[in-house]
Amino acid sequence: MEAVVVDYGSKLLKAGIASPDQDPPCIIPTKMKRVLEEGEAAEGEGTGNVEEVMIDTVVRGFVSDWDAMEDLLHHVLYTNIGWEIGDEGHILFTEPLFTPKYLREQLVQLMFETFNVSGFYASEQAVLSLYAVGRISGCTIDIGHGKIDVAPVCEGAVHHIASKRFEVGGVDLTNLLARELQKSNPSVKLDISDVEKIKELYAKCASDQLEFEKMKNSCPAEQHTLPDGQVITIGKERYIVGEALFQPHILGLEEYGIVDQLVAGVSNVASEYHRQLLENTMLCGGTASMTGFERRFQSEANLSTSAIRPALVKPPEYMPENLARNSAWMGGAILAKVVFPQNQHVTKGEYDETGPAIVHKKCF
Amino acid sequence: MSWQSYVDDHLMCEIDGQHLTAAAILGQDGSVWAQSTAFPQFKPEEIAAIVKDFDEPGSLAPTGLFLGGAKYMVIQGEPGAVIRGKKGSGGVCVKKTNQALIMGVYEEPMTPGQCNMVVERLGDYLYEQDL
Repeated sequence: MEAVVVDYGSKLLKAGIASPDQDPPCIIPTKMKRVLEEGEAAEGEGTGNVEEVMIDTVVRGFVSDWDAMEDLLHHVLYTNIGWEIGDEGHILFTEPLFTPKYLREQLVQLMFETFNVSGFYASEQAVLSLYAVGRISGCTIDIGHGKIDVAPVCEGAVHHIASKRFEVGGVDLTNLLARELQKSNPSVKLDISDVEKIKELYAKCASDQLEFEKMKNSCPAEQHTLPDGQVITIGKERYIVGEALFQPHILGLEEYGIVDQLVAGVSNVASEYHRQLLENTMLCGGTASMTGFERRFQSEANLSTSAIRPALVKPPEYMPENLARNSAWMGGAILAKVVFPQNQHVTKGEYDETGPAIVHKKCF
Repeated sequence: MSWQSYVDDHLMCEIDGQHLTAAAILGQDGSVWAQSTAFPQFKPEEIAAIVKDFDEPGSLAPTGLFLGGAKYMVIQGEPGAVIRGKKGSGGVCVKKTNQALIMGVYEEPMTPGQCNMVVERLGDYLYEQDL
């Protein structure tokens, strides 16, 4: 039986049967709507109307609502991928850095007890993204919707001491863009999902800090028509989104920019690995596919204080175009081909014998 | 039950057709309670460094874990309970109980997961016996 790989993120869930050279077959949002039935009351309401509540199943990379997650996985596994009840196969999950132990245990428990899978494995997204480009050592900078992970990986093992996780991500950049657009277009009412789309269309990264300063003063403004017909002008705001990653004080964070964080993290690793780590840096995640981001990253890296210059990895030619967005899923597909045939995963028998804590022993 | 039989029967046992390359049960001061025949000759400083990492997780990572002169890269363990090290395709797992350190060294084709199972299972058992 082919294994299934699931990469759940704060915005999108990528899932499908493990096929390493292709994009994940199923990419769906993780935001869900709960429809309250008649008779169930929301707080303070007693009328029995059908209400809809928006739920964020995955917040900052971690599952926050387990009932919603169960329903979402049920839909993905049985409807989209085509599993049949009673004939479940192997499943591989990706997880962000620093996942708390109890969350991993809860996921294992859900998979074995509710879904009755025959095999389970979990691996960190940083390692998987590197597998997708054919490396086992290097640094990953994963800029996702809910979090940013900076992780050095040596021979397939993440150096947790040297890694850093930031609780900012694409969602904060969208809020920043919304605030800026509201300031320059005070008469227009903006909806967050519209700002999300505007961000993906227009956001750019200035090629360096000086250019950003120039842009702040004079920038060609573009007109954009929102779905409800209102027209807004977008000028210098588009550059602020990319700049915030290199100058976090724009977002209100007292931290260094992303390149400095990488260099600081790597310096916590034994020095013989530094060259291997910095010269195999990988950018992944939705926000990293912003126009001009890679170029800016490379130029900031050249300016950085480290003796070894961070260099970005070139993805192999046989991999699809959107590698950066889905690299964790593709790495998971590659790993699934290795882990399950070699029986390194957690089987139902082992789970029954040892309980959920087995995930810490076998999956790392 | 002597300590030696713990090592021979429980740590060096067959799991899925494979067994550890070497195993030992040491006191936290470096004294040997029992060891297998192939266990590397270690130095007291190495044991002291391991004990220190249990007290201050993260102190071994920058330099690496040394055991009998062999250098292991420290990977994800459980702070205060388990230290795991990797060397190529093999590695080591050290589990701390109340008074002892249980060590298991493995090579290919044994997997890190299997080594962890063996070492930590014995460790949990000794923990319950208050050792």
